[in-house]
Amino acid sequence: MNGRAKSRTGKIKMKEKKKSAKQSAENKIRNKEIQRQADELKIKNGLLKNGAEKQLEFEEQIHILTKALASIDEGIFIIDIRKPDFPVIYANRAFQKMTAHSKKEILSRNYFHLYGNKMDSSILDKIKEAIKKKKSAAGMMLEFQENGAKHWNLLRITPVKGAGDGVTHYIGIQTDITPIKEKEQEIVRQRESLLHVTRVGKLAEFVSSLAHEINQPLTSILSYAQASRRMLAGKEPEIEEILSHIISDNQRAAQVIKRLRSLLKKSEPEMKFLDINEVVRETTELISTDASVRKVSVTLALESALPPVKGDRIQLQQVLLNLISNSFDALEKTKSARKILLRTSLKGSGSIIAEVKDTGCGIPEENMPKLSKRFFTSKADGLGMGLSISRSIVREHGGSLEIENNKGRGVTVSFTLPAGENNNP
Amino acid sequence: MSSRAPVVYIVDDDASIRDALSLLVKEEGFRVESFKNASGFLEFKHLKRPSCLILDIKLPDINGLELQEIMEERGIFIPIIFITGHGNIPMSVKGIKGGAVDFLPKPITEKKLIKAVGEAISKHKTLRKKQAEIESIRQRIDTLTPREKEVFELVAREMLSKQIASRLGTSLQTIKVHRARVMKKMEAENLRELIRLARKAGIIPPLK
Repeated sequence: MNGRAKSRTGKIKMKEKKKSAKQSAENKIRNKEIQRQADELKIKNGLLKNGAEKQLEFEEQIHILTKALASIDEGIFIIDIRKPDFPVIYANRAFQKMTAHSKKEILSRNYFHLYGNKMDSSILDKIKEAIKKKKSAAGMMLEFQENGAKHWNLLRITPVKGAGDGVTHYIGIQTDITPIKEKEQEIVRQRESLLHVTRVGKLAEFVSSLAHEINQPLTSILSYAQASRRMLAGKEPEIEEILSHIISDNQRAAQVIKRLRSLLKKSEPEMKFLDINEVVRETTELISTDASVRKVSVTLALESALPPVKGDRIQLQQVLLNLISNSFDALEKTKSARKILLRTSLKGSGSIIAEVKDTGCGIPEENMPKLSKRFFTSKADGLGMGLSISRSIVREHGGSLEIENNKGRGVTVSFTLPAGENNNP
Repeated sequence: MSSRAPVVYIVDDDASIRDALSLLVKEEGFRVESFKNASGFLEFKHLKRPSCLILDIKLPDINGLELQEIMEERGIFIPIIFITGHGNIPMSVKGIKGGAVDFLPKPITEKKLIKAVGEAISKHKTLRKKQAEIESIRQRIDTLTPREKEVFELVAREMLSKQIASRLGTSLQTIKVHRARVMKKMEAENLRELIRLARKAGIIPPLK
């Protein structure tokens, strides 16, 4: 190649060089721009992805909440209170079942029309009043079903605030507490029947003592009258006639007493093999309300795997109830801890010992010997029969009852019962 | 009231009942001894006459049924009429099994009481007669020598004199002498009578 040609080509090369330099600068800028846009897209994409995930999470939450509400046993419903007729906008399955209405029947209907007249309306009035004041409310609802069955429901409603400040909805929770209520009523019933048995027992004991006291003088009056009639031996017919009246009236009185006695005859105890711990637990259930009202704490210390005792369940409950109620009275004025401890244990030679220990006022030593006497009482309204009945029940069961002041405060009353041999009570 | 009148013992802790029953029973011609508790009755030297006991089931020291047991242990065989304020049936069954003549619920009518007392006393009379007879037999037995007693028992078991002789290792003649003495001392006229006496005295088992 010649020199000119060389320089031309050199010029061209220069030009091209310049041109490519310019181009590469432009490229760089463009690339940066692309990079920036890509980054931006990335961020946007990230945001979007995030949002989508959140959305998903949120949806899942809603799903779970809905599922949970649907499967729960509590009846749950939501009322829109912005509308004048308080329509139900949500009702879960349990609520549909409780009201015996289909979803279709419930939704958008006035809440207060749902129950019809199957229940007492006082609770509904209470709810209306609460909604008016935008407050929450709770109450018991006794509902009658068409088959006559009674249902106890606990109903609570809570205001829900909408997007703004005001209350827009109410959520209601209705719980079927029929089993709890029935258990409570069963306890009340058992308690009452035991109290009845106790009252009848006391009355019978009282009448029996009274009858004996009256019968004694009746016996001597009759014999005196009959002896004097014999002495007169027909010599004083008028006086003899009077004596005959005394005799027949005496026999009339004796008849009254005899009838009274047979009327209140103690029923034969029903002796069965029993778990004494079970008897103690049942009795504790019966007095639990009483104990909480009197602020007395009742503790059990029951030895496990005790052999059974042979006895009458009701009578043994009666003994425990008597002793516990004595303890309650003794704890009446106790300022320090009010405690009753019920303990059972095995006593060496085949007998079981049950104790009622309290932290009450104790028994003055001078009263101790009088405790076994019928009609002795230190209570203003007492008959003095409780302890003597308890003692005679325990004795009939082949055991004995003892009363002792504790070293510290209070009294321990314990009774023994012979342990049975039956291992399958 | 004759000095040999039967005795009615009364045990009741109620003074009025004791007094009233005493009056009623005395009116019937019985002699009455009354006590306020069981120990009073047990300490008393019982009269050797036909008697009966009117006994309250419920007493302050021991109850009537326990007294009945003690009397049996001590050989006091006086028939008992229980009187009770409760008419307790299981108790009365127990008392009657223990030999009580009657069970009278309070208040007691005179008819029932007098009837029960009459029965109890005649039961006691029979009992006493039997006891007296046994006593007299025992006294007669006491006059026998040990050898005569042996012979008495074997004769009562209806063994022949020959058998007795060989059993006791002695001669027939000796046994015949013993036997004649036993008959005389026991005041028995014949063998049958002697066997009856042996049975009554418990020397041989009673007839079924």
